[in-house]
Amino acid sequence: MRSWLWLLVVLALGGLFYWGMQRDPKELPSVLAKERRPAPDFTLPLLPPYRGEWGETLRLSDHLGKKPILINFWASWCYPACYEEAPILEAAWRRYGDRVLFVGINTQDKEGDALRFIEQFGLTFPQVFDPRGRVGVDYGMYGVPETFVIDGEGRVVVRHAGSIDQATLEKYLKEVLP
Amino acid sequence: MIRQGAGLWVWAFSLLLALSAWAQEGPASPPPDLPPEVFAIARELRCPVCQGESAAESNSGVAVEMRRLIAEMLREGKTREEIKAFFVDRYGEWILYEPPRRGITLWVWVLPVLGLALLGLGLFAYFRPKKPLPPELLEEAERRLKEPPA
Repeated sequence: MRSWLWLLVVLALGGLFYWGMQRDPKELPSVLAKERRPAPDFTLPLLPPYRGEWGETLRLSDHLGKKPILINFWASWCYPACYEEAPILEAAWRRYGDRVLFVGINTQDKEGDALRFIEQFGLTFPQVFDPRGRVGVDYGMYGVPETFVIDGEGRVVVRHAGSIDQATLEKYLKEVLP
Repeated sequence: MIRQGAGLWVWAFSLLLALSAWAQEGPASPPPDLPPEVFAIARELRCPVCQGESAAESNSGVAVEMRRLIAEMLREGKTREEIKAFFVDRYGEWILYEPPRRGITLWVWVLPVLGLALLGLGLFAYFRPKKPLPPELLEEAERRLKEPPA
């Protein structure tokens, strides 16, 4: 009888340890994407090359709920991940730009470095400047690059941490495209 | 003569070391002078980039911004709990250094106590003073000892 009890204790502990070892400590939960929360609003200055087309500042709520939005956090010092995904994002923007709005948020960076990065990859989707990284905290971001996909109703449906590849990006976009 | 030369080398080397401290690039802007309460709160929050550090220790951009936000919220008169709730709202309970005492993380608090209790129980069972043998059994044994071997 008592040996059964001990076996039970050992099994329960073993089960707990096993369950704990299956968990990935690197996987960081996104409250926004899990609960499909409305995308946090922000108003940020656009970087000079985009002011002609988009104005001095970009307010996200002006665009929320009209069509899906993809937000990409990046920095020029984020090598190689941000350098890998920049051409992929630009190509996707050229292809889907009429149906999805892409917004790049340059975060914790210097304006000169950011402009050099933009020129290097010829980024044509609007880029805003957030040197403090305030918006990143609102999105629960932990490091660049990070990509958020917002559906047509203004809800965050996807958070992708790290460099994004073309297949994954298209899969996310198909989810939110009407 | 040789020893003198070695001494000279040691001096030159230490001078080089001292100089290399100058070469280190200073931070872009001096860290803001934040009150100690900011760090007390930041110490209870995880730095999102550097998983093993708290937001008080790290100098990563996110951690610096978190401290700045905490300082701003303190100035606005927000309480410690409200500030922590602000970060939990964005990052989930993952951001708290101390796991909350409910839900699944309650086990983190309960299990060590449970383990200690089990250990205590086992030790007690092991070292429990044995019950003395019943007197009739002792008498029987003594009687048998006194019996001449058959």
